[in-house]
Amino acid sequence: MTAEEEASGSTPVIEARGLRKIYRLGADVEVHALRGLDLEVLAGEYAAIMGPSGSGKSTLLQILGCLDAPSEGSYRLAGEEVADLSEERLSQVRNHRIGFVFQAYNLLARSSALDNVALPLMYRGLGPRARRATATEALERVGLADRLHHKPNELSGGQKQRVAIARALATEPDILLADEPTGNLDSRTGQEILALFGALHAEGRTILMVTHEQEVAEHTERIIHIRDGVVESSEVVAQRRRPSVGDAAESRAGAAHDATGWGR
Amino acid sequence: MLLENLRTALSALFENRLRSLLTLLGVVIGVFAVTATVSLGEIATAGITSEIQEFGSQSLFVQRVFDDPDSERFTDDDVEALSRLPIQILRQQSTRVTAVVDDVRESVTVNGTTPDAPEVDRSIELAQGRYFDERDAARAAAVIVLSADARQELFEDEPDPVGREILLEARGARTTYTVIGVKEPIGGALGTFANDISGDVPLEAFYRDIPGVPRGEYDFLPISIDLDRDAGAVEDQVRSILDRRRPPDSYQIQTVEGALSLFDTITVILQALLGGIGAISLLVGGIGILNIMLVSVTERTREIGLRKALGATPRTILQQFLIEAVVLTVIGGTIGVALSLVTLWGIVQLVPFLDVFVINPWVVGMAFLVSVLTGVVFGVWPARRAASLSPIEALRYE
Repeated sequence: MTAEEEASGSTPVIEARGLRKIYRLGADVEVHALRGLDLEVLAGEYAAIMGPSGSGKSTLLQILGCLDAPSEGSYRLAGEEVADLSEERLSQVRNHRIGFVFQAYNLLARSSALDNVALPLMYRGLGPRARRATATEALERVGLADRLHHKPNELSGGQKQRVAIARALATEPDILLADEPTGNLDSRTGQEILALFGALHAEGRTILMVTHEQEVAEHTERIIHIRDGVVESSEVVAQRRRPSVGDAAESRAGAAHDATGWGR
Repeated sequence: MLLENLRTALSALFENRLRSLLTLLGVVIGVFAVTATVSLGEIATAGITSEIQEFGSQSLFVQRVFDDPDSERFTDDDVEALSRLPIQILRQQSTRVTAVVDDVRESVTVNGTTPDAPEVDRSIELAQGRYFDERDAARAAAVIVLSADARQELFEDEPDPVGREILLEARGARTTYTVIGVKEPIGGALGTFANDISGDVPLEAFYRDIPGVPRGEYDFLPISIDLDRDAGAVEDQVRSILDRRRPPDSYQIQTVEGALSLFDTITVILQALLGGIGAISLLVGGIGILNIMLVSVTERTREIGLRKALGATPRTILQQFLIEAVVLTVIGGTIGVALSLVTLWGIVQLVPFLDVFVINPWVVGMAFLVSVLTGVVFGVWPARRAASLSPIEALRYE
């Protein structure tokens, strides 16, 4: 199923039931990060996850991104129960379905922007030439066409975040998960990143973003509040812009690009 | 994927040059330490053994039992009786005298001997001048051939003492001798440690100028066996002749084979020691490699987490780390072996008594293999551990 098909069908792409996550710190200290959380996200949704620190929002995002396993509960990603997946299949899911943007960027420090973005493409089995082309495209997309061969330490925080986003985008994932993508950025750079997310959403991608800033959350369509490891509330803040019609999505994407000046 | 991973591994090694170099250095030192120490020991052992064989085989040394006052000296008749055998016997007497040159007084062992001494004692070689000949012997000429050590003590830095005179004082008698030759230093490891301050003079001159030495009697008889004869058989013949002429336990025969068999024991001990040193260096080198691999791979737990998060399977990650470890340890091991070969060769060239360049392929092979295995095991093991973590656990690793 492509993102388009999923979106038009309005099927839940993410279905979490009774998720629990217990961290064991030392012998008898247990931290309950998630306490039986339920969540459903439809294909094509753009949602923010908010909550005080320690509420479990990052843990949730990591589980949804298949980067960590819940201690209990069921998580179905596009209809597949993640707990049942083999290690191989799980790697495939991480590579094909999910684009994860870390708060701390997590770039390979000694590799160029291009090599960083090309990394997931290599694990997908793309040849060097195709990787290069796709990674270059993704970097152009986030406005880093002139920074292809710079290493992370030669880039600003905003540029590093954009490399991380380009890396998440390069594989054309169905779902984009971002953990405080603007957390380390000044407000102007933050706005640019948010505009980019808006454009990606307009293309029909499902986007979930963890943030603690109300202002950032308001760029999305739905705000999910989490407290003490469960969903406290979920409010729709904007009319859901369903990219069910291809033309509409195209024009929206075009508009977003024009607005940020990244569409060149 | 393998080719792709090879590329990844090589670029990871190249992009982290310092880390790669340090790891490489660890392996180089590990292999070098083992190969060099053990081989150096083997080279020294081989050097000493070959030297003893060179000087020694085909010689006997017959001496009376010095501790036993009843053990009589050998006589000219004994020498005569032994001469039937395919051997050459040196008639030789020694005593300590004082040698005086200008204001230098030095205690010197004087050997009264015959002109054929250089043929019987194959270790004698002349550095300067000549040995005394039959004519000198016949007229009991007061001439002396100095050992290298004696020359050094008496004439120090004088380039050519041939022709200089030495006053020999023995039991009240004083005679002036003329230096006619200087011997080469006794070669090799044995000579390095021996201190041989001596001079050879014609036997007749010795009897004339040194009072109190009985004529025609010898404390010991250096014997050289003809090269084409079996040393063991000749030794038995010497024994049977002497047994007919003297009480059985009144003399001893020393052979270089005997010395060699003693030396064999030393060699065994030496080799056990070398084995121990080798094992310890292997352990130390191995721990060094283990340490650096463990640290450098554990340090990359976050990188492994990231690669997993981006869709790498644990298998792919392990393959990358395996390739990295193999490349590093094989290159490091090769450099280590090459470096130790060059070093050992240099040492053999520079140190005079180490003249045999032996490399034990087992030692080199073991050092190489253990280093590579250690490097691979402790390069892949932490990577395996990290790859079995969930990506987020690995990314959270501090």
